[in-house]
Amino acid sequence: MNAALFSLLLPLAGALLLILLRPARSGRWVIALSLGALVAAIMALQVVLDHGERNLLVGGWEAGLAIRFRLTPLAALLLVFTAGLHLLVALYAARIAHAAGKEDYWPLSCLLHAALAALWLSADLFNLYVTLELLSLVAVALVSLAGRKAWKPALNYLLLSLAGSLAYLLGVALIYGRYGVLDLALLAQLTEADGVTHLALLLMTLGLMLKAALWPLHLWLPPAHAAAPTAVSALLSALVVKGPLYILWLIWSEIAPVEFGRDAGLLFGTAGVLALLAGGWSALRAPRLKTLVAYSTVAQLGYALLALGLLLHLEEPRLHAALWLFVLAHGLAKVSMFLAAGELQSSLGSKRVTGMRGASQNVPIALAAFAVAGGSLVGLPPSGGFLAKWLLLQPLFEQPQHWPWAVGVLLGTLMSAAYVFRVVAHGFDRARPNPPSIRPDRLAQWLALLPALLVWGLALISEPLLLWLGGLGR
Amino acid sequence: MSWHGLLPLGIVLSSLLPGLVIFGLREDQQRLRVTLNVLGVTLKLLLVGSMLYGVSQGNEYRFSVPLLPGAPLVLQADALALLFVALSSLLWALTTIYAIGYLEESPLRSRFFGYFSLCVSATVGLALAGNLVSFLLFYELLTLATFPLVVHRGTPESLRAGRVYLAYTVGGGTLVLMGVALLHSLAGTPDFQAAGYLLEQVAEHDVALQVAFVLLILGLGVKAALIPLHGWLPQAMVAPAPVSALLHAVAVVKAGAFGIVRVVYDVFGAEALMQLDLTKPLLWLAAGTILYGSLRALQQRELKKRLAYSTISQVSYVTLGVALLGPIAAVGGLVHLVHQGLMKVTLFYCAGNFAETLGIHRIREMDGVGRRMPWTMTAFSIGALGMIGIPPIAGFISKWTLGLGALEVGQDWVLLVLLVLLGSALLNAAYFLPLLWRGWFAEPADWHENRWAEERFETHWMLLLPPVITALLSLLVGLLAATALSPLGWSQLIVEREFAI
Repeated sequence: MNAALFSLLLPLAGALLLILLRPARSGRWVIALSLGALVAAIMALQVVLDHGERNLLVGGWEAGLAIRFRLTPLAALLLVFTAGLHLLVALYAARIAHAAGKEDYWPLSCLLHAALAALWLSADLFNLYVTLELLSLVAVALVSLAGRKAWKPALNYLLLSLAGSLAYLLGVALIYGRYGVLDLALLAQLTEADGVTHLALLLMTLGLMLKAALWPLHLWLPPAHAAAPTAVSALLSALVVKGPLYILWLIWSEIAPVEFGRDAGLLFGTAGVLALLAGGWSALRAPRLKTLVAYSTVAQLGYALLALGLLLHLEEPRLHAALWLFVLAHGLAKVSMFLAAGELQSSLGSKRVTGMRGASQNVPIALAAFAVAGGSLVGLPPSGGFLAKWLLLQPLFEQPQHWPWAVGVLLGTLMSAAYVFRVVAHGFDRARPNPPSIRPDRLAQWLALLPALLVWGLALISEPLLLWLGGLGR
Repeated sequence: MSWHGLLPLGIVLSSLLPGLVIFGLREDQQRLRVTLNVLGVTLKLLLVGSMLYGVSQGNEYRFSVPLLPGAPLVLQADALALLFVALSSLLWALTTIYAIGYLEESPLRSRFFGYFSLCVSATVGLALAGNLVSFLLFYELLTLATFPLVVHRGTPESLRAGRVYLAYTVGGGTLVLMGVALLHSLAGTPDFQAAGYLLEQVAEHDVALQVAFVLLILGLGVKAALIPLHGWLPQAMVAPAPVSALLHAVAVVKAGAFGIVRVVYDVFGAEALMQLDLTKPLLWLAAGTILYGSLRALQQRELKKRLAYSTISQVSYVTLGVALLGPIAAVGGLVHLVHQGLMKVTLFYCAGNFAETLGIHRIREMDGVGRRMPWTMTAFSIGALGMIGIPPIAGFISKWTLGLGALEVGQDWVLLVLLVLLGSALLNAAYFLPLLWRGWFAEPADWHENRWAEERFETHWMLLLPPVITALLSLLVGLLAATALSPLGWSQLIVEREFAI
């Protein structure tokens, strides 16, 4: 537990110190900090695998009153994931000055890291609310780093995010009024299927879906993610939207009544399939590269939503692993994709998809990163995306009446392939190439490729990974 | 793990690693690139040779690493795998020589040879795959690695062809994925085994098995160019000649046909398919493709397009032989896998030579080419006559065996199959013989180009050597068909093991 706390406090302290002291080379400090947080998170994972779930009651109060931190294998894995991605993005942002927007990026990204780490560790509804709010505010601030043109999407994001927070808070208040506790473990034993609980769950769900940009409440995401500086887009798509998703998963898999979950699961699953199709279609038609990548986030979150819905609807515990593998694989692939998109844009001097002509010879490594990361989004073997899709399909195929869901997955796969290869095909255009406006930076391109290679390596460690995720579900 | 287990991995890596290094080379590092290519080719041929010897002695080679829960990545050398591995390695060796000559002085060669090596690695990996999940992995990898080769020229036309190619093959790959996942949830993913592993499931899950079979055949049928999934193949002919020769005559289409062989014999098994009543539609689909391909070939005015439709028709012989479900027909189908590869690659090399040397693309420009390029034209003639089925060239052996196999099945509808075989042979003659007549007997046409005119050979020696060798091989495998190490002998060995005769 100490290691996990360390992984949370390190970026928090770092953020405060960076704001106060304003050192000359913030980038290097952040790299060192996130590396330290990564090591601590790995140690926490080790501990939780050896000794099982750990709890910490802050201040020594009894459960129900104290702030409870809970370290599960999943939370530890997500700590590792957060610190690792933050490290990768920090490396890139330190190399490419314009990727970060302004110098303020560094303390903010540390704060983001700390907020997420606290979110993974929290185990009561109010605590989750606080971390969620902090996360959203930091995310909005990060988007606005891109300058004046990003202010409108950032403001939009802020307003919708506040609306989401209010809805969530209202739900929490209803729960507190009904049961008098907010601790998840206590609530899990108390909840009954009555009107107040249902209403509270609905309100919380709406708020969280809005914050996680789950279809059909996703409209704020593409402009905000496309307008943000490259490094910020990567963090937002890979990490930030996963926070509310985690809370959504917690409340539905731990405290929601089972029968209500079965009905809601059907809705979640349907929304997931529609997200795959609608998001994919918008990505296919997006004129700009970063908008395309942002819509692909909307589409890919559909897989997570589908897995969540089906695990509730079918009461199928194996789908927990599928859901979190989607999240991990998508996070890695999306970091790579946004960084590659940033490299392609700045090297070729064009933000449009058609501006990528000839990228295969002018910026080969960045295009390769985009393609390799895209391969995982499509779910080509043996990438992490494939592993997740495989796990999602297995329970579906066992009963013929669940096959229509598999058709949804099939269509989603084709859709993702279409928008990924739309970009790649332009890259191979040699007849009308778009000449590079600056000399491409090889190291930066390799940094963009690295997470994509990692996500393809996930399949090689599928056995330990599934072991870590195996204890999920009630 | 002993070296026996590492040999299949070595065969895949012997082209994969040089390929990855080649990506990083600068354009002017020609000598290093050629050295790496030749090194990889030689190593692969040596490894395949030693494995051929080992398998004929009854040795087993199996490499395995965990991949998915219950479905490891397995590379395994059985007789069937080696048939395809040997074919693709040999033709890769020759095509590498051809491609070095063909692409001399052209841009982006490092990229070309890098992807070329990746393609061959995917093809041999797919041949050696020991279970369906491993097969799927290499099948998708093959799609990805061929796309950059199809669009290598980067013209709007080739990009259009590349998009069509991707739409078909990615769609097909997704269907295969669905089929594999469905079978995995029913019966797990054990290694491929003679006579299949699904017989016990037939009674309980007949509908699911039928769906899985249809998904797999549709997905594999895309690469095997079964109608109506063949549309990408003629378009993909915009690729450079070595790509058309190796990939579209051998690697990609054969990957589909080979997959069908695996699914029919080693996953479902003849008996299960008989009970599920699924091979008849496949048989008629193959027969339809044979006739349709030949008819369309007849209409083509461009040489490469005609050859492409001919490929569509000829590859379906393999599927036809498999779908007949009799041992002799199976021998015919399997041996055609090799024979068609040898003959078709010869034809594509020759077409490439005509285009490179004299700028010939259309059929009427072939007039009198035999006088200017007698060696190439001879090789072309051997390939074309073999396709028609003139003894003693390879094609005759496969068609003869297929005919015998159909008769052995001994049902009424077999007559129809024989009619299809006969009709196709006539159509083959109708679209190949005019080419031969034009080449040898017509008055020479007015060619736009005339390269290598003053040299010792009629064209660059690296372009001339491969078709001469493959033409010679097509003759030899026909003449020596009765020996044990010929493709026919080897196919008989496979079928003896599959049908446990």
